[in-house]
Amino acid sequence: MTAPRIAIKEGLFAGPLERLDEVHLAGSRCDACGEMSLGAPNACSNCGADRLAAAALGDRGTLYTYTIVRHRPPGNYQGPAEFKPFGLGLVEIDGVIRVMAPLLPDPEKLHIGMSVKFHPYVLRTNEGGQDVVAFAYDAAGE
Amino acid sequence: MTVADVYIIGAGMHPFGRFEKSYEQIGAEAAAAALKHAGVAWRDIQSAFMARMYLPATSGPRILRKLGSTDISIIDVEAACASGGAALRQAVLAIKSGDVDLALVCGVEKMPRGFMDPAMIYSPWQVEMGISQNPSYWAMRAMRHMHEYGTTEEQIARVAYKNHKNSVHNPYAMYQKEFSIEQILNSTLVCDPIRLLEICAPNDGAAAVVVASERKMRQLGADGVRIAAISHSISRYSSDFRCPAESMSATVDNLGPTAVTAQRAFEAAGLGVDDIDCFEVQDTDAFCEIELYEELGLCAIGEGGRLINSGEVEIGGRRPVNMSGGLISKGEPVGASHLGQVVELVEQLRGTCGVRQVEGARVALAHVLGAGGNCAITILQR
Repeated sequence: MTAPRIAIKEGLFAGPLERLDEVHLAGSRCDACGEMSLGAPNACSNCGADRLAAAALGDRGTLYTYTIVRHRPPGNYQGPAEFKPFGLGLVEIDGVIRVMAPLLPDPEKLHIGMSVKFHPYVLRTNEGGQDVVAFAYDAAGE
Repeated sequence: MTVADVYIIGAGMHPFGRFEKSYEQIGAEAAAAALKHAGVAWRDIQSAFMARMYLPATSGPRILRKLGSTDISIIDVEAACASGGAALRQAVLAIKSGDVDLALVCGVEKMPRGFMDPAMIYSPWQVEMGISQNPSYWAMRAMRHMHEYGTTEEQIARVAYKNHKNSVHNPYAMYQKEFSIEQILNSTLVCDPIRLLEICAPNDGAAAVVVASERKMRQLGADGVRIAAISHSISRYSSDFRCPAESMSATVDNLGPTAVTAQRAFEAAGLGVDDIDCFEVQDTDAFCEIELYEELGLCAIGEGGRLINSGEVEIGGRRPVNMSGGLISKGEPVGASHLGQVVELVEQLRGTCGVRQVEGARVALAHVLGAGGNCAITILQR
């Protein structure tokens, strides 16, 4: 039996990690001010209230801004052994939140306003034999 | 209660660059230069503050011990790129409280070449996913600005051109070399649209100032520059997506950290942006300076690209910015960067800057901005 998968950051995903097509980004909506946060924070960053309700974020988004990372990121970067430039951007979801994420499309084809879709994937296997699930965004077509 | 003014009575630097020297030595040389400039002995300093980000614990005592062991309070201060401002603010508060009359503030750093260590400012998962290359966040702001306001790559290059050109006359700068707009636009892309000659390099350096109460300054017969305001703040919710932001609100539109910190500093000084004769600002990359023109109020939002084209921010223009050459040419030894700006402005206000002197400068503003939306602004007045 294989070890259960884990999220790269606790509380980041909603849905069963064993079935990636049913996984979404997790959000938390503040009871007091209505602001949406990414994942499951202790308190609302906007108003400080600590009553938040879990709310999955939509899988589709639009690119608010981006850059192209042209050199291998420093430190413990777990991307492909042979580095290829990739996009990094802020993806606007449901008109409420913009999430910082790596972008899978050909970097030269990225443009502000393009449609993208959520893409969870296994980034690596940890020392305990568990698959670690990370996320990116891919082109969604129109 | 009247709060007495605080003055900078001495300022000194170790050049910014790369040196075969320990951080202790680099820091001690800057501190000694500031003390000498003030005409004050180290044993007369009553409290000291050491700004640094990438150095080990108790860097302050380890550096200042080289000048002689005394029993005063020495504190290390860290607030990312704003460390020097946060340290200077602590010294000003210590003097205003009446606790001490004479303090030393030093900023120092010794950093490896290349991208900054991401573990210092990002969570481990961001580093693993590659959301951790420092210039990328700044570059994304540039992309959005170009999209919204039509700012061009040539306008961004023009900022780097100006700052490299100014640095030719600054013996403390790392490069001191002029580059053409064409050379800048042909340099390697680091994070689109930001290129190698448009970005500051982490390096080594130190800067220090001696601050005194008005009473102490008169007693010493020293010639000081008044600290009209010093302000430090962290960005408001969702107002700045500089590292290590994971997400931003799509609906909340808060004022950015530079605008907030500037507002506080101008209010404390009883001055407005039109009273400032010259500026030293955080040009982590050339686009950042364009954004700062807008946030500081030198022009309207969206007009920063046109302002660099106008020549207004050049030495000899109406409102010069980064006469020293900025961090793009000096490099960014993080703990030392703000105090380096302050040293430049003290020299500007004393009229001792030679070729890069702003004629008749009476009021000057120094600004830094970095990780976490850490922002500090110091306003100096002659």
